[in-house]
Amino acid sequence: MIAKTRDHSSGTFRNLITTQKAQKGDERGIAGNVRITSHNATPKLSLYLPALFVIVLACIPVLTKNPVFLQIMILIMWYAYLTCSWNIVGGFAGQLSFAHPAFAGLGAYVSTLLFMYCGLTPWLGMLVGGLFAVLIVITIGYPCFKLRGAYFAITSIALAEVLRIAVENTDELFGIKIGGPMGLLVPLRGHSPLYMQFTTKEHYYYVILAMMLFGLFVTHRITKSKMGYYLAAIRNDVDAALALGVNVTKYRLLAAAISAFLAALGGTFYAQFVLYIHPSGIMGQYLAFELVFIAIVGGRGTFIGPLLGAFTLVPLSELSRIYLGGGYSGVHLLVYGFLVMLVILFMPRGLSAPAENIYLALERRLRPAWALERGDTDAAAKR
Amino acid sequence: MSVAMKESIFNGLLMGGVYGFMALGLTLIFGIVKVINFAHGSFIMVGMFTGYWFWVLTHIDPYLSLLIIVPLLFLLGYQVQNVLIKPVLKSEAEVREPIGILVLTAGLWLFLDNLALLLFGPNFRTAETPYTGQMFKAGDVLISAPKLYAFLISLATTGILYILLKKTLLGKAIRATGQNRQVASLMGVDIYKIYNISFGLGVALTGVTGALLVPFYPVYPNVGFVFDIRAFMIVVLGGLGSIPGALLGGLIVGLIESVGAQFMATSWTAGLIFVIFLLVLYLRPEGMFGFKEEW
Repeated sequence: MIAKTRDHSSGTFRNLITTQKAQKGDERGIAGNVRITSHNATPKLSLYLPALFVIVLACIPVLTKNPVFLQIMILIMWYAYLTCSWNIVGGFAGQLSFAHPAFAGLGAYVSTLLFMYCGLTPWLGMLVGGLFAVLIVITIGYPCFKLRGAYFAITSIALAEVLRIAVENTDELFGIKIGGPMGLLVPLRGHSPLYMQFTTKEHYYYVILAMMLFGLFVTHRITKSKMGYYLAAIRNDVDAALALGVNVTKYRLLAAAISAFLAALGGTFYAQFVLYIHPSGIMGQYLAFELVFIAIVGGRGTFIGPLLGAFTLVPLSELSRIYLGGGYSGVHLLVYGFLVMLVILFMPRGLSAPAENIYLALERRLRPAWALERGDTDAAAKR
Repeated sequence: MSVAMKESIFNGLLMGGVYGFMALGLTLIFGIVKVINFAHGSFIMVGMFTGYWFWVLTHIDPYLSLLIIVPLLFLLGYQVQNVLIKPVLKSEAEVREPIGILVLTAGLWLFLDNLALLLFGPNFRTAETPYTGQMFKAGDVLISAPKLYAFLISLATTGILYILLKKTLLGKAIRATGQNRQVASLMGVDIYKIYNISFGLGVALTGVTGALLVPFYPVYPNVGFVFDIRAFMIVVLGGLGSIPGALLGGLIVGLIESVGAQFMATSWTAGLIFVIFLLVLYLRPEGMFGFKEEW
């Protein structure tokens, strides 16, 4: 518990909450009682809140058909999804990766090429793309895992750049047209759910909503699992984890593989949504920075972080695109860069810290009411 | 050996010298402050824009204006370290693998680059200095004059830096801090001030490189990215924190780039550098030459 509280970026939402609660309970001298009730009471809020969130998100396209609004929502969720995948390596395993656009680009290119040349539906093509990304992680990424801190970050940049340059300079590979710097246009099929192409934004909205929830689900499962604890141990102190017999390379590799697989799926969605992919867009370094910054602003290594970060930064970037730079692409990164500096300086745990406080306050408010409902007068009397 | 080959070797060596010099600021900051400065390329860009505007607005000789650019950038670096990095450095002192500073400097990178984009627009600008396009003829080989000047000034500045580090009391304090910060602070060195100065020096060196590039390289807001990645490669090739490593790594990268361009499309040479970099990292993570940090 001491280790948990010292490391600011550590732990899952729930871990931190129970830690803090136990401490507060001790202060009040009702430790035992609170622990028991909290065990029964927390599932309620931690069930209702996500359910409410999902329902609200699912209702949005029913309430409004405004394409601009839906477009922004889709972008937000796409970024949230990709940041979720980044979070597994960058947050939980504690390795600053800038290689994720490469994986997303790989997913986009593989599924699109399979679609163009074999007629394979992107629904399956995205899985193939994911496997490709995993393959890259295992073959090229594997030697990187012994690298630490800045070395890892620089190497991931180099890796992503090699892939981007390779794609950019290849017009044709074994007779397959890749398009070089011009990129590829995804062939149009009209409204065909079978080929992941829709004429309305709502359908895309629901696809990416499902993907984002899946990403959140996966990261949540990881934080709850043995793997999550191993990763936390590795992040806090590699040598200590090694000494305790944690198979560092295996778990880092596993984390990276899951992460790359998810990122590749995100790439396929992007290709089908935008219907045009080119190397400097989907594989460019700016995307990597956006993902890192979203995660940092939201709270690195927390499962809720990507969500908070994306819902804050992406609308901001859209606004700054409108009001700041005019036609210059990338000016929104001015805002990102500035915000991320502020967050690092004044709020190292990102937005997840205040969110957690609100959650705790809400829970404290609600707990006696629920306790009363169950007939637990003892806890209700503490109100 | 064909003339083209000879020219590309000369060119590669000259550019390599400049690259090595460019990586010097990065390696100095890493060696002393133990910070990887992701915003390195942005400082090159800042140096280039400062040099460019100095030339356009005042028409002072671009090499003479270095005397003004260097103190300006030193102050910039000093304050960046003092205001932005120092608090994070202090709060992360206990953390094993600090990521906060990496992200902070990455944020600074994007902030500076896009600030320049906002202020000056995305266009490529070339400064028409008296040196632009000037050539020397040595035998049958043509050598670009501004590149030669840049190379020579780089060498001279490296010499000055060497003297500063080895012969002065300040240099002694800087090296002591790089070797062991705790012991240095016990000996009465104000290490945070030394960090500020080192960061300032690193940024000033970087700025000099930027200004030296102005007569023969176009200036645009994202120019730093090209050099940033290259500087990382060079520094890792030569061993992080090592000055001779940086210089040698620079020469190698310059040569690969310019000789490689004789055999393949120029856009591939950047990829070639990355591949060599990855190989070196796999096989010899301590750098190609195994120079120890020698602070």
